[in-house]
Amino acid sequence: MSVEGVILPSTTLLLIPAFNEAEHLPAVLEAVASARLGCEVVVIDDGSSDATAAVAARHGARVIRHPFNLGYGGALQTGYKYGLHGVASIVVQMDADGQHDPTQVPALVEPILRGEADLVIGSRFLGPSSYQMGALKSIGRRFFRALARRFELDVTDPTSGFQAMNRAVLEVYAEDFYPSDYPDVDVLLAAHRHGLRVVERPVRMSAGARASTLHGGLRDFFYVYKMLLSIWATGGRRARRRQGA
Amino acid sequence: MTDEQRLAELRDLFLSAPEVGATRFVAVALSAALVLVVLWLVRGRRLRAEYTPIWMAVAFGIFGLSLNLDVLRVLTRALGAWTTSSTLFFLGQVFLLVICLNYAVRLSRTGVQIKNLAQEVALLRARLDALGDPPRPGAGPDV
Repeated sequence: MSVEGVILPSTTLLLIPAFNEAEHLPAVLEAVASARLGCEVVVIDDGSSDATAAVAARHGARVIRHPFNLGYGGALQTGYKYGLHGVASIVVQMDADGQHDPTQVPALVEPILRGEADLVIGSRFLGPSSYQMGALKSIGRRFFRALARRFELDVTDPTSGFQAMNRAVLEVYAEDFYPSDYPDVDVLLAAHRHGLRVVERPVRMSAGARASTLHGGLRDFFYVYKMLLSIWATGGRRARRRQGA
Repeated sequence: MTDEQRLAELRDLFLSAPEVGATRFVAVALSAALVLVVLWLVRGRRLRAEYTPIWMAVAFGIFGLSLNLDVLRVLTRALGAWTTSSTLFFLGQVFLLVICLNYAVRLSRTGVQIKNLAQEVALLRARLDALGDPPRPGAGPDV
């Protein structure tokens, strides 16, 4: 299937982790269908208590249902493992709340097809963008961007959930270090430290169909603390591996 | 006599206080009760045998100390404490810290195992769905 001049391989997988998204999922899956990507669409229902799984199945998506809620990262990792068990050559992930535009998937996949990247991040902050981010989140994004730079990884949007990756990345992300809650700059750094090439491509994003429930209040502090610890642990593990090699 | 000497004398007085029979009795009773509770929990299958060594070690440790309080006095002097009860309290706190850390590590490992199992269940269920098999009673958990 050709979209904007890019032909997606038939072994491309589109992952959509979803938790209680029965309300927003139909619009997202209709947008995916309209984009005519020609890839398998997999919705990972992360233990939803609403009709998320039924809605996804009704729209033709393959549904993987967790027996209970594992978290956003846990749902993504299930999708990665699904891709690894099968023949997926490229995996694209997007959110179920409608903030990502599926017509931009080919632009994300292109650097992988050209052999220029292993992991492509859709960035809201490359090129012209009307995306509005709160002051605190903006500070956090800048802080983690600066931190990533210290590890020689320059990403403008380390919290973007709109990404494309090849099997080499899947193999890294299927390991036990991958967090069940918020996989952000820590896992990007893990991929980078495994020698995988991480690049960004500009994408348009809306603020999402509903307010984010991921952060807020004390969770912001926990997020920063946990992310710093995770980055440190990932760095330490790699250092030990290098010593042992 | 300087203040320092007076304090050292006072500390020696504390540490040379005669043993009280009730203290020894309580310690022996406590250690015996701990052993009995651990055995009762294992027998009722509420505590797995592999988790018992640490509690048995604590029980026998208390028992050993109650038989020979001089060991506790030596420990108290070594730690710079004034009373044997302070030493016991300190050792108890250290033990609680270590046991909490131990269980946090075990919990982390169990959490990863549960997550991996849940993902495997979800993937196997998806594979079953793909094969078009109707759900069979007893084939597995209803996920």
